[in-house]
Amino acid sequence: MSRREGSLAPQADSSVSLLPHLEAKIRQTHSLAHLLTKYAEQLLQEYVQLQGDPFGLPGFSPPRLPVAGLSAPAPSHAGLPVHERLRLDAAALAALPPLLDAVRRRQAELNPRAPRLLRRLEDAARQARALGAAVEALLAALGAANRGPRAEPPAAAAAATSASAASGVFPAKVLGLRVCGLYREWLSRTEGDLGQLLPGGPA
Amino acid sequence: MPAGRRGPAAQSARRPPPLLPLLLLCVLGAPRAGSGAHTAVISPQDPTLLIGSSLQATCSVHGDPPGATAEGLYWTLNGRRLPPELSRVLNTSTLALALANLNGSRQQSGDNLVCHARDGSILAGSCLYVGLPPEKPFNISCWSKNMKDLTCRWTPGAHGETFLHTNYSLKYKLRWYGQDNTCEEYHTVGPHSCHIPKDLALFTPYEIWVEATNRLGSARSDVLTLDILDVVTTDPPPDVHVSRVGGLEDQLSVRWVSPPALKDFLFQAKYQIRYRVEDSVDWKVVDDVSNQTSCRLAGLKPGTVYFVQVRCNPFGIYGSKKAGIWSEWSHPTAASTPRSERPGPGGGACEPRGGEPSSGPVRRELKQFLGWLKKHAYCSNLSFRLYDQWRAWMQKSHKTRNQDEGILPSSRRGTARGPAR
Repeated sequence: MSRREGSLAPQADSSVSLLPHLEAKIRQTHSLAHLLTKYAEQLLQEYVQLQGDPFGLPGFSPPRLPVAGLSAPAPSHAGLPVHERLRLDAAALAALPPLLDAVRRRQAELNPRAPRLLRRLEDAARQARALGAAVEALLAALGAANRGPRAEPPAAAAAATSASAASGVFPAKVLGLRVCGLYREWLSRTEGDLGQLLPGGPA
Repeated sequence: MPAGRRGPAAQSARRPPPLLPLLLLCVLGAPRAGSGAHTAVISPQDPTLLIGSSLQATCSVHGDPPGATAEGLYWTLNGRRLPPELSRVLNTSTLALALANLNGSRQQSGDNLVCHARDGSILAGSCLYVGLPPEKPFNISCWSKNMKDLTCRWTPGAHGETFLHTNYSLKYKLRWYGQDNTCEEYHTVGPHSCHIPKDLALFTPYEIWVEATNRLGSARSDVLTLDILDVVTTDPPPDVHVSRVGGLEDQLSVRWVSPPALKDFLFQAKYQIRYRVEDSVDWKVVDDVSNQTSCRLAGLKPGTVYFVQVRCNPFGIYGSKKAGIWSEWSHPTAASTPRSERPGPGGGACEPRGGEPSSGPVRRELKQFLGWLKKHAYCSNLSFRLYDQWRAWMQKSHKTRNQDEGILPSSRRGTARGPAR
């Protein structure tokens, strides 16, 4: 791997022979992130359509509700070393599945005759988990994985206690939009960060 | 006023869902504005209303600094700004809204009623559910495939349009005992259908009904009572073969096999055949095919491709007196009738012109018999056997005549003799 800003070198000399394999893994994970970003766009479009106007209207700017355990990529994210960025990406991808599951359960009540939306939300949770695992595996292979116990994503129980105060349908729609938006943002961020590991420079 | 029982008070707010990991930290129906300075609460939250009814709602602002004003607030409904004359300021922090003669909800997730600050930012939202209670479902029909399962279909009342999500539940129980059971596999043969795959009793009647429920109430269909054996259908007959009948140009033979799933029970099966010309959409149906597995179609056009299908009605299983239910049609099978060998200007299936060497009394009689046969194209072995012999003789004698004419002068041509019988 070339010595360029943001690139990582494998820890052990013996892994030089693994470089092609590692590079292939990076490409594969990058391609997966790219594909899932497209799916996330489709999910978002379908979601807003089913919530009704004004959700799908241009200029719709709902409050950016805080989501337990997950925030949007910070403006400073792009300036971090690539291994830090990928760690944040992996952490966000690990936090997303329970959020997407919660949105799916609520949408099953609000839009029970929308099987495609419900299926997309279910797939999104599974795909976020898979991509997060792939990014963590890459970090481990690059010797940049977290040492010590991994921080668990927010437990569903912890989220439920704070969620009990909120039961309105409109806020639930807004929250679902926020979660779908965060999902898309983090996928796009992961794709960009992985692209920086590819030979030839940033994607 | 629509029929059906009313549910809870029409304007009651929707009951909060069970504890779900919804992840909000502090909302209470009051999303923060973009600046985070003010929040608001809309009342009522998520009401359910009848079409044509009215709604009085309020948007109460609170936040920092205290005394946030209601001046400048406005409402939108499904993204459209509501006329200012529908709103009025109740007090310094509360804006009221009066909507009359509400239409049915535009989407099942609820109409979005939003309170905006002067700058357009969203202060709060509430979802309106406007619709009708369900009407009584009706027209329940059920059938059992090979006595193993039961599928039922029904028609929702009021053509199904309640503007609210309406849940349909098919219930069934044994008539004289047993508990109510609920069907679980929905939408198997259309949006209003359900499939019960197993554990069905024979020789004892079932009671079946449909319950429809939405936010505004519920309704129940009339009870249908049936015995599984009276509503049996089966698979289409397999192995349908269509073939020519020797050289006969206007007949095809159809053969099939009794549906295997019921082969031990089909003592009185009925069959129907339908056939059509290749480039036509009009089917002709042959009805009177009882308990046979073959049939001969007659009166067909020579040199023509026909599509043929067969279906089965397994009536009378275990002594059932009911009519039974027709299976689906078998996959179409195609065959073509032989081309006509009679000479004519264009060949093929043309009738001969008058004055041709083969015209005469025998040809006229043949034409009349063919005409009669076309009207009565059903399976009658006796008449077909005689007709086959007669036709075969006619064709043979026609060929012989043509060959003779090829070598004899025209003055030696004569009329063909009729059949020997």
